Amino acid sequence: MGTHILTVEDDERIRQAVKLALEEEGWTVTEAGTGESAMDSYTSNPPDVVLIDINLPGMDGFEVCRQLRRESDVPIIMVTARADTHDVVAGLEAGADDYMTKPFAPKELSARIRAMLRRSRNAEQGNMQRVKVGELEISPEEGVVMQGDTEVHLTKTEFKLLCELASQPGKVFSREVLLERVWGYDYFGDGRLVDVHIRRLRTKVEPDPASPRYVVTARGLGYKLQP
Amino acid sequence: MAVSSFVLAQRQLVAETEDLATAQMFTNAANLNRALDVVGSDIPALLEGLRRPNNAKVLLLLGDGEPRSLSGLVIEDIPDDLRVLVRSGNAASKRFRTNEGAQFVTGVRIERTGAEYYEILPLTETEGTLATLRRILIGASATATILGAGLGYYFARRILQPVASAAQAAEAIAGGDFDTRLDDQSDPDLSKLTRSFNDMVEALRLRIERDARFASDVSHELRSPLMTLAASVDVLEHRREEMPESARRATDLLSKDLMRFQRLVEDLLEISRLDAGAVRLDYDTFGVIEFLERVVAQSRTPGVPVESDEAGALILEADKRRLHQVILNLLDNARKYAGGATLISVTKRGDSVRICVIDNGPGVAPADRLRIFDRFSRAGSDAGRRDVATGVGLGLSLVAEHIRLHDGKIWVDGVTPTGTGARFVIELPGLEVDVTGELEELAL
Repeated sequence: MGTHILTVEDDERIRQAVKLALEEEGWTVTEAGTGESAMDSYTSNPPDVVLIDINLPGMDGFEVCRQLRRESDVPIIMVTARADTHDVVAGLEAGADDYMTKPFAPKELSARIRAMLRRSRNAEQGNMQRVKVGELEISPEEGVVMQGDTEVHLTKTEFKLLCELASQPGKVFSREVLLERVWGYDYFGDGRLVDVHIRRLRTKVEPDPASPRYVVTARGLGYKLQP
Repeated sequence: MAVSSFVLAQRQLVAETEDLATAQMFTNAANLNRALDVVGSDIPALLEGLRRPNNAKVLLLLGDGEPRSLSGLVIEDIPDDLRVLVRSGNAASKRFRTNEGAQFVTGVRIERTGAEYYEILPLTETEGTLATLRRILIGASATATILGAGLGYYFARRILQPVASAAQAAEAIAGGDFDTRLDDQSDPDLSKLTRSFNDMVEALRLRIERDARFASDVSHELRSPLMTLAASVDVLEHRREEMPESARRATDLLSKDLMRFQRLVEDLLEISRLDAGAVRLDYDTFGVIEFLERVVAQSRTPGVPVESDEAGALILEADKRRLHQVILNLLDNARKYAGGATLISVTKRGDSVRICVIDNGPGVAPADRLRIFDRFSRAGSDAGRRDVATGVGLGLSLVAEHIRLHDGKIWVDGVTPTGTGARFVIELPGLEVDVTGELEELAL
């Protein structure tokens, strides 16, 4: 079965046009006009990628995102009206993996979706050694992260981000490098993607996320995994 | 006033004392004149008998040159210039100073016998009086001055306080704090001013909010149809090969102008956000040279060289996304009007970086060099130096606004003395030079 995409958007004409454009890529598209119907559709026919507009009547995009995250790590792309609002950060904090601003070029959306699909398919990093820092143990092959005796549940994007940092412990990774390797962006990707994902990662792997022990910030340069 | 009072009092007092002394001296001299007629008169007794108010000292110099005096006055005590005057037959007086204080001397020649008669009156008492007066006046005027200044300051503050707080409030409002209001004033005139000031601020706030809301509403309203258009055109482009020739050309036109329309809408919205003060910069730290090379590589003129003489890595703190737009706009501008930029040069100026985008085109006429950054201005469209058919004059005004937000500067000048070739110069603060090689720690 081909790739299945769920688009959640209240404007019917946009929904139709986006569906047509995505179908041109050979993907199957399911539409939902409200958050509630999106949740129903997700349960009955789980998609590979979800595209959610933030401005929805009733249950808004952030809430859809949070509810989806509670039960799944399906890749989520948020659609916001503007890039320089708090919406982007709020959407990423609600659990979105990436975002697009309206009006986006469908080609750009397809590229983002492809990058996400790649990420979820090789989330298991076949050629990487197991890394252990302090209590934290990352097994790239199995796609498992252990904090002591308990398994830490990460989304595909968070896992890929941690694996990148763990590939060279102690080395500083600039936002640009992480954007390119994890999200498939070029140099001009939005650094907030990295910042918010690092924050999310910390709440899951750090004993005290406010003063990180493993995922540390190198001021003005980027992030590194502290060996 | 105290000074003039003192001077007047001093003059009056001294003049009175001196007049009195002079009159007494003349009386005494006349008495002596009569007494000296009597042969064998007892001169010391005569002198003793004279009226000498205020302990005046007297000296009689008889024609034989023998001085007679009371209170130990000697001829050397008399000032020479006065003696000369007296000897020549004039009555004279003079004020002078010895180590005993100020003295007043009067003298007259007794014509008949050729004797000289002098009286010296110490002015110490007068001086004492004057000193007391001076102290009183100084004390009084100092008190008056301090009291006056204090009261003046107090009342000036009371009156100017509302003006000062109005100025402060206006400053806060200009800085974007529209919740600032003036406190109510008890003075009816001031309270009127306060009320209208507060009303004005409220009106301003509402208007700015309305503008900002309008911008965001328009933004939303325009984005939705643009989104549908963009997605639909994308489908058409996919099917381009299946179309007959005319439909294909129409699709191309649609696609190109949709892009232009999108750019224009984005620019307009960005401008209205800037006007509403709704734009916040997202600061990032990055290497300038690498950044510029990436921008150039992404632009439609990817071959433009980026040059710098600096040894260390130039690290800039700025909004990368907006600076990206700025540089792309300048490159685009050079491409449209000058056949493309020929060079981007980077120099360090203190803690600012100067980025110059240089082209070989016809240049910007000096008269247009400021105007070119205005909205919808196309420099020199009359002279035909710039092509009217391309672009909409928002790009450079946005560039200027973004640079201004960064507290930077932008201007354009000519490359050659004759003014051909354009050099757009951006100066941005927030530059650091990394010579420690800290960047080498980076995983690449």
